[in-house]
Amino acid sequence: MKGPLLTMGLLLLTLPARADAYEEHDYILNCSGCHRMDGTGSKNVPSLLAMAELLGKPGARAYWVQVPGAAQAPLSDARLAALMNWLVERFAGSKPDPAYTAEEVNRLRSAPLRDPVARRSKIREAIVR
Amino acid sequence: MSRIDRWFEGMSRQSARRVSRRSWLSRFGGVLMGGAALPLLPVARAAEKHQVGEDGVKGREGDPRRCEYWRHCAIDGFLCSCCGGSHTACPPGTEMSPVTWIGTCRNPADGIDYIISYNDCCGKTFCGRCMCNRNEGERPLYHWYRNNDINWCGGAKTQTYSCSTAVVVKAAKEAQPEK
Repeated sequence: MKGPLLTMGLLLLTLPARADAYEEHDYILNCSGCHRMDGTGSKNVPSLLAMAELLGKPGARAYWVQVPGAAQAPLSDARLAALMNWLVERFAGSKPDPAYTAEEVNRLRSAPLRDPVARRSKIREAIVR
Repeated sequence: MSRIDRWFEGMSRQSARRVSRRSWLSRFGGVLMGGAALPLLPVARAAEKHQVGEDGVKGREGDPRRCEYWRHCAIDGFLCSCCGGSHTACPPGTEMSPVTWIGTCRNPADGIDYIISYNDCCGKTFCGRCMCNRNEGERPLYHWYRNNDINWCGGAKTQTYSCSTAVVVKAAKEAQPEK
């Protein structure tokens, strides 16, 4: 008797968390218009699949939040942090470790990039610390 | 001769003896005309409420050729449904732009907000019919991610704007916050 009850209790605990998951919704409404549903972008918009090139390189974690599309998205720090955790795992192929927090996102988006393209090539060549 | 043939022969002979040809013609005509008039009855129109749109969204579809149609709440452009296409497909000879302006609209049939993708159709000169400029939730050009004055044909092969579609992506978890 205890088994099914415990399972039901666990299910009830996990249900609200799933219902509050806004990551995919926020991606569709705020990113997919330009980056497209599958993240491949277009001739004017970079592909999110290219995030894998920067994975693990110094500066990449901050850069991903500082790019204009992420930093200026009309989302709260907490929602952007959740979206970034989902997005990095989906497109760069690995969960950010540690996960982005609202505080970190707040700090990063308040320091905008002056030249995102130049920063990206520096990170790619591992010049940035 | 098989039993079915005999049965049909019997039925035909019987009806030929009992029913005049004119009577049959008048009844057949009545069925044809009556069948054509069925969609005008209120019963048939009530059934339309349950019809499913081309992209699978249930609800009263309304007229996609009118600006008031629920999916057009944030559109800015000519409606493709007046230009040889539909609200989900581009007219022949045009290409759907891969990049697009996205917003949410509430479907009055079920009270649910849906994410709508206003993909532009590009490659022929502007359609010029059914201009619709509702722009609910739009923001000025410096909020580029919520602006629809951008030529979204920028992502297509040719950048000539022709008309706009309104494709439902999926149900939204909340209405677009700018509304």
